[in-house]
Amino acid sequence: MITEVGHFSLVLALLMSILLAVYPMWGAARNDIRMMSLARPLAIAMLLFTLIAYASLTWAFINNDFSLSYVAQTSNSLLPVYYRITAVWGGHEGSFLLWITILALWTGAVALFSRPMPLQMVARVLAILGLVAVGFYLFILLASNPFERMLPFFPVDGRDLNPLLQDIGMIIHPPTLYMGYVGFSVAFAFAIAALISGKLDSTWARWSRPWTLAAWIFLTIGIALGSWWAYYELGWGGWWFWDPVENASFMPWLVGTGLLHSLAVTEKRKIFQSWTILLAIAAFSLSLLGTFLVRSGVLVSVHSFASDPTRGLFILGILIVTIGGSLLLYALKAPGLKGQGQYHAISREVLMMGNNVFLTAATMVVLLGTLLPLVHKELGLGSISIGAPFFDQMFTYLIVPFVFLLGVGPLSRWKKQSPAALKNQILLALGLSLSAGVLINQAYSTFSYLATLGSVLACWIFVTSVQEVVQRTGKAFNLNALTKLTRSHWGMIAGHVGFAVTLMGIALTSQYSVEKDVRMAAGESAELAGYQFVFKGVKPLNGPNYTGTSGHVDVFDKGQLVASLDAQKRFYTVQRSMMTEAAIDSGISRDLYVALGEQLDNGDWGLRLYVKPFVNWIWLGALIMALGGLLSATDKRYRLSKVALAKKSKQYTVSHTASSPEVLK
Amino acid sequence: MKKIWLFILPLIAFVAMTVFLLSGLFSDPRYQNEVQQDRALPPFKLADVMQPAKQYDESLFHGQVTLLNVWGVWCVTCAVELPFLTQLKEQGIPIVGLYYEQELDPDFGGKSLPQIQSEITQQLSKLGNPYQINLFDQDRSYSMDLGVTGAPETFIIDKQGIIRLHHIGDVNQRVWQNKIAPVYQQWVNQ
Repeated sequence: MITEVGHFSLVLALLMSILLAVYPMWGAARNDIRMMSLARPLAIAMLLFTLIAYASLTWAFINNDFSLSYVAQTSNSLLPVYYRITAVWGGHEGSFLLWITILALWTGAVALFSRPMPLQMVARVLAILGLVAVGFYLFILLASNPFERMLPFFPVDGRDLNPLLQDIGMIIHPPTLYMGYVGFSVAFAFAIAALISGKLDSTWARWSRPWTLAAWIFLTIGIALGSWWAYYELGWGGWWFWDPVENASFMPWLVGTGLLHSLAVTEKRKIFQSWTILLAIAAFSLSLLGTFLVRSGVLVSVHSFASDPTRGLFILGILIVTIGGSLLLYALKAPGLKGQGQYHAISREVLMMGNNVFLTAATMVVLLGTLLPLVHKELGLGSISIGAPFFDQMFTYLIVPFVFLLGVGPLSRWKKQSPAALKNQILLALGLSLSAGVLINQAYSTFSYLATLGSVLACWIFVTSVQEVVQRTGKAFNLNALTKLTRSHWGMIAGHVGFAVTLMGIALTSQYSVEKDVRMAAGESAELAGYQFVFKGVKPLNGPNYTGTSGHVDVFDKGQLVASLDAQKRFYTVQRSMMTEAAIDSGISRDLYVALGEQLDNGDWGLRLYVKPFVNWIWLGALIMALGGLLSATDKRYRLSKVALAKKSKQYTVSHTASSPEVLK
Repeated sequence: MKKIWLFILPLIAFVAMTVFLLSGLFSDPRYQNEVQQDRALPPFKLADVMQPAKQYDESLFHGQVTLLNVWGVWCVTCAVELPFLTQLKEQGIPIVGLYYEQELDPDFGGKSLPQIQSEITQQLSKLGNPYQINLFDQDRSYSMDLGVTGAPETFIIDKQGIIRLHHIGDVNQRVWQNKIAPVYQQWVNQ
């Protein structure tokens, strides 16, 4: 009964989305206030019906309703309740329901938090979000319905959730990632609405910014979680594999980062509108492409669920309508856009554009690397695979000029920057970062050029960030002056410093990690990077839906016990699959990592030991970046613009210009 | 004019990409063989789980149409289909079990073979024994060859040892009448 309510609600939500796509858009074209005012209530109704549908599917999972074929495929009566709740998005159908629920959430949020926006703009934005939703509701109802019953004959028990997904990281990773992916739909809708209206002024950029930031924050955390999960759950000791699906989430992030910066320029300087619009379209298009790649099975990956071409075809149809349509609109409308601001060849505008170009280039590299194997095969040239070496090399080339500009950009002025004025700061920063970077790497017995390069780049960002704060606060460098900086300014600093922290982590851990495969009997010990790993033996393990073995390892540093690790190997009885649960002792400067392998014929155990320096910095940096996004998104001028009248927001524009650099000097 | 092209470029790039995605959608070999049908049974050499000294190979299936049922005592759904399979056996349909087990592996608490045998005997005496014999897929590599994704799964093997049907999930009255029996009859009559 409850699942029928859910199914029906989903149909109602589809109806709402159709109405939402049609009436407000029509009203906006005819300037009909009654039709335009339908947008908000329709968006809220769509959200409510979607939430009911989602809740009822969750109910079916909690109550083990195996008459639903989706529940029978992805759950099992032995599965603990919290995993039954997360199993809702453990398979194809449910993950799409989560996708559309999140789209409805964003649409509802825009409806609720758009009071000061002109009605016409709200109507268009919501209508576009509704239009995107129509495609996905249709897809769920027609091609991948999680409410499909297997009545009157249904299995007594389910086939269980994929053990890989039975993990705390997996509970939060997909929803966060989807929040980011789908969140770019809002920036997309704003861009399309602005294109339709032809009004691409700085107000559009200002409204769009907090939404873009919010999506970017979720995406940053989502990607970091995914990488962290891969690191400790897959037991391969790696944290990024350039897997097509990882790439699919990385591309919107790269473009989204470019979009954030480009929006800032458009808001403050009224230039680069057509570029910003293109990035907004690209960010969401790449999210859709990511969804297609993951769900259609075009690319073979650990992430792909079993899939059939009809579903892929349906998503491709949505892609063609959404991306093709918006790019067509772009081709028609964008050539007419003219920037208003003036700027010189060396100015903050140009430096930021430079970085946008590098971010776009990086996106292209990832896109080509991901799709080239497919294109190659389709052209009949045979199968090729593009792996980590290609990406690593390309990113090494790209990151040097990128980081250089990243450091100089915040130091420079809008409109025009004389190179001579920056010379001293740059030389000082170069000197400091070079010596710091080299010093850090001298601490390791095996000197690595790549790690040194990475550390120098990271230090360059640290140093220039400090220089920038000093420059902004003037000679009177004290706490009082620091509090004068706006939140969005601190957001920028945190974003950049976070990136530096991640970069430092990547450089050090990828060059200085050591690993060792050993065979050990209980009581034996092995040495790695100065640590003594003592194997204490194994004991059996009994979980709710798995059995297995747990191996105990004590780690000593100069005779001191520093970690006591239990590496597990689990066997999930219903799905008949093996999982390695690596044991990790995390620290600021290093991780100790033990994975249990196979038992050998003579009773010894195979163990894999790793010492990974600074690996946690990768995720710590991502957190700092997300925090930076949060600071920017909660800046006064966005918060106020939501409640204040248009007049008040004008005042803030004035006060904001007053605090910008060229007036300060 | 040159500038206009710049704005159309993204659209062109997208269209080109779509062509490849579309063709990629239909050419992926992963879609074939999802269900193993109309191919010869992969060669095997497996022991009888109750009498490990007895070895069988694919000639076991030659000469008659047989059901090959993949199961284990740990599998709830398998327990449910046992009584129905037993009915089928009583109608004279030959059923061979493929016993799918990992507990023998010392990695997993190390159940001994006699323990497994006694569990099987217990289960079959309780719910009915439809099997002529139970092949023991100890390291699960044969299930892998067959493309088994979980238990229970049932195959129809014809007189030449060719897989004619692969059914995922339990066998019950409905599935038997609608899906399995017609194929079974067709190959018996051939």
